[in-house]
Amino acid sequence: MALRAAVLRHIRLPVQTLPAIGTRPQSQRSFLRLFSSHDDHLTKEEVIDRVLDVIKSFPKVDPSKVTPDVHFQKDLGLDSLDNVEIVMALEEEFKLEIPDKEADKIDSCNLAIVYIYNHPMAG
Amino acid sequence: MSGATTAVYLARRAAQKERVRILYRCALKDTLNWAVHRHIFYQDASDLREKFEANKHVEDLDTIDKMIAAGEATYDKWRHPDPYIVPWAPGGSKFTRNPFPPSGIEIVYDYGREEND
Repeated sequence: MALRAAVLRHIRLPVQTLPAIGTRPQSQRSFLRLFSSHDDHLTKEEVIDRVLDVIKSFPKVDPSKVTPDVHFQKDLGLDSLDNVEIVMALEEEFKLEIPDKEADKIDSCNLAIVYIYNHPMAG
Repeated sequence: MSGATTAVYLARRAAQKERVRILYRCALKDTLNWAVHRHIFYQDASDLREKFEANKHVEDLDTIDKMIAAGEATYDKWRHPDPYIVPWAPGGSKFTRNPFPPSGIEIVYDYGREEND
């Protein structure tokens, strides 16, 4: 115990003064752990990126045609049942539960992005 | 066909299409509930899609109604007893676990020390 105190007295660690909190950029969100499930909101770019990834990985879709404001049935030439499948894939990606009536209305990429962005529990 | 019946026909077809879409959605989720592993799910999902595609070009309204009713009966028969529901949704495990406290309630920060100020 005395040896430990003696050793600790001899070890000196350099003290770093961190920069002021106001100068940290907003993008360092990864260091901030949010413990509540109600505080963590996605940014619009993240939502757009993930939605486009889901749509591009759909086998019947041509990935080069996918833009953030593409209509599933008119622009991509998909079926209404394909629409249902895409909405289900988006539900699985963002861990959402979309009611049937709402899910029926999601027809285009734009609507999907807006709906997911405004959903409070989008994961 | 006169104009009125065409509008009625189109309205009925639109309602039927919506029923079909909702039925397909519920049936797909149910398929995922029964077939937990993805490779089995993909196989079952393509079988389900084949069944829907086979009746795609039926035009008669009553036949379509009967087929939709039969499809919904099959779906009710095959519903999973313990479906996967997202936790915060109604029926999930986290639903109303931490409800918002009623408004007007706030924390008293110096409880018990109000007189000794």
